[in-house]
Amino acid sequence: MSAERIYRLLLRAYPPDFRAEYGREMVLVFRDQCRESDVRTVGFWARVLCDVARSAPALRAEAWRARMSDSTRTLEVIMKLAAVLTVLVGLFGVLNAVVEWVAGSKGAIDGRYVIAVVLGGFASVLLLGAGVAILLETRWGRQPARLAPFASLVSMAAAGLLFPWMSIFSQLVGFGLPVALLIALYWPRKPSWGSTP
Amino acid sequence: MVTKRRAGRPPEAYLPLPPATFHILVALADGELHGYAIMKGVAARSEGTVRLGPGTLYGSLKRLLEAGLVEEGGERADPERGDERRRYYRLTPLGLSVVRAEARRLDAMVRAARRKKLIGVRPA
Repeated sequence: MSAERIYRLLLRAYPPDFRAEYGREMVLVFRDQCRESDVRTVGFWARVLCDVARSAPALRAEAWRARMSDSTRTLEVIMKLAAVLTVLVGLFGVLNAVVEWVAGSKGAIDGRYVIAVVLGGFASVLLLGAGVAILLETRWGRQPARLAPFASLVSMAAAGLLFPWMSIFSQLVGFGLPVALLIALYWPRKPSWGSTP
Repeated sequence: MVTKRRAGRPPEAYLPLPPATFHILVALADGELHGYAIMKGVAARSEGTVRLGPGTLYGSLKRLLEAGLVEEGGERADPERGDERRRYYRLTPLGLSVVRAEARRLDAMVRAARRKKLIGVRPA
């Protein structure tokens, strides 16, 4: 087997994209090296192997990090959509609380009704805040985005316990969405906002 | 380590450069070179102490291209090395600024070492 064929086999240690871009050039350089060195010596092949062992893993790691970065971008798009949905649900919840309050104020209001409306309004405001914080992508936006769905989950759970007649839709909006947001926010990933070069 | 192009970064933001990267940039300060000419230039300038293999060379060139410190200068055959077309590389203005900044940094370190009499003094 010729030295060049062995080197072509060694090139398989590099990421495919890198090989496609620089493989031909690397073979040319190797050919030049072969012309000016004794390829039958152990020292020559030790240097070749050392070069591959040193550079290939680093380039593989870089390619892997680039792929991870791509999947992070996909997750961010999903989170943006979730944030838009959260803002809409938050707005709907605030409006609903206002309408409930106005409707309730025409008759006699008991304490449980007031707590339900206040908790519902509070949870909606928190959801609205979370959605806006994610959409704005500010440096500080990550913290309220983490806190708001959690607080929302707690207040919705409290409202659900106080008023077991809450509809399935309300339960889903109250529990499902904040939990989904929490999972999305805590999913291990490289943060793309708030990081400086 | 040089990783990604960052618009508007000052040359000092890229420092310190890994030794292989610095040697490649110094080699390219002479003008456009292809891969093997860079390798030969580095080996000659370092008196054989730095020997870049093809993997290290093209891995570093890839990062330098991504960082905008080096650019491709086209493909052509080297008359001294046969008919095969080779890709040539050259420094960008940013690359030149970065290699100058690194040279100044190393120069300051050498001067500090000299003041401390760590180099330039023959042992008694």
